[in-house]
Amino acid sequence: MITEETLVDELRQEKTQAKAFEVLVNTYKERLYWHIRRIVLNHDDTDDVLQNTFIKVYKNINGFKGESQLYSWMYRIATNEALSFLKKQSKNQGISDTELQDRMVANLQADVYFDGDEIQLKLQKAIASLPEKQKLVFNMKYYQEMKYEEISAVLQTSVGALKASYHLAIKKLEKFLKED
Amino acid sequence: MKKANNHKDFKIPEGYLDGFTDKLMERISTSEGNQEARMLPNSDGFKIPDNYFDGLHSNIIEKLEEEEKKVITLKPWRNNLYYAAASVAAAILLTIALQYNQSSEPTFESLAKADIEEYFDQTDFGFSTYEIAEVIPVDDLEVADILEYQFNEENIIDYLDDDIDNIEELNLLDNE
Repeated sequence: MITEETLVDELRQEKTQAKAFEVLVNTYKERLYWHIRRIVLNHDDTDDVLQNTFIKVYKNINGFKGESQLYSWMYRIATNEALSFLKKQSKNQGISDTELQDRMVANLQADVYFDGDEIQLKLQKAIASLPEKQKLVFNMKYYQEMKYEEISAVLQTSVGALKASYHLAIKKLEKFLKED
Repeated sequence: MKKANNHKDFKIPEGYLDGFTDKLMERISTSEGNQEARMLPNSDGFKIPDNYFDGLHSNIIEKLEEEEKKVITLKPWRNNLYYAAASVAAAILLTIALQYNQSSEPTFESLAKADIEEYFDQTDFGFSTYEIAEVIPVDDLEVADILEYQFNEENIIDYLDDDIDNIEELNLLDNE
C-alpha cells in the first residue's frame, strides 16, 4: 500500500499526478462522503461538496505542508466545504441556520435516499438541534468511530474539549428523544 | 487428588464454552463503546445510489477539466486595453466621488462596528474559512504578537457577553 508521503510527492509531480489523484480519490471517497453526508444530509448536495473537496485538494496540494496527516487535512477541507455550502444555502434562501437545519430534516421524509424509521428521523431532528461543534464531534465519534486524537487533528480542538462536547451531545440527544 | 470437572450433577448446553470468549468480548466492547449512548440507534438510515462511487473519479476529472477551461489567458495587448479602460473608468469615478463627497470622506475608524459586521455577514466572498486561513501570513507573526498583546477589559467583557453560549470552548473541563 502506498504511503501518504509518497502519494503527496506523486500528486505534486506532473508526470505521476493523474494516477496519484485516482488513488487518492479511491482511498478517501467513502470516508469523506459519509462525513459530508452527515452534515448536509442530502445525497446530491453531498456529491457536489465531495467533488469540490477533491478539486480543492488537487489544486492546493502544494500548500499542504505536511504538518498534519493528509487525511486530517482533507477532512478539514471537507468540513469547511460542507459548512460553507450550508452557509450559502441559508443566505440564498434568506433564512437562519436553524431554519435551514429544520428544512433539511423535514426534506428527509421525501428523500429517496433516506429510509430511516421514526426513531432515526427523530435522531436527525435531535442532531440538527445541536450546536455546530457538538454535531461534528457526535457524527465523527458515534457514526464514523474516529478516535478523539483523530478528531482533534481535524477540528483542531483539544481532546479534553472534544470529550466534553461529545458527552454534552449525547446527554442532549437522549433528553430530546425521551421528551418527544 | 483430582478435583476439576467434578460436576456430574450439572449439565451445560453443547458447545457453550466454545463460543463463550467471543460472546463475552463482544458484550464488553458494546457496553464500553455505547455506555453513554444506550438509547440511540446504531444506523442512520442514509442510502446512496447504486454504483455511485464507481463513477466518482471520472465525474471529478470532468468537473476539474470544465473549471480549467473557464480560465482563459487573455492576450497581452488585450490586457493593456483592459487596464486602459479600467484606468479611465477609475479616473472618472474618482472625479465624481471627489466632487460629490468632498466634505465627509469615510475612514475605517468612522465606520460603526455593526456596519463592518453587517458587510461581512451579507457579502458573499466565495471563500471558505480554509481559503482565508491559507492567506493569513502566519510566517510573519511572532508568538509574542499574540502572547504580549494586552486586551482591553471592555473588549473581554463584550466577548464573554456575546459568546457566552460557547462556554464549552473555554475548555473548563480540560483543566481538571
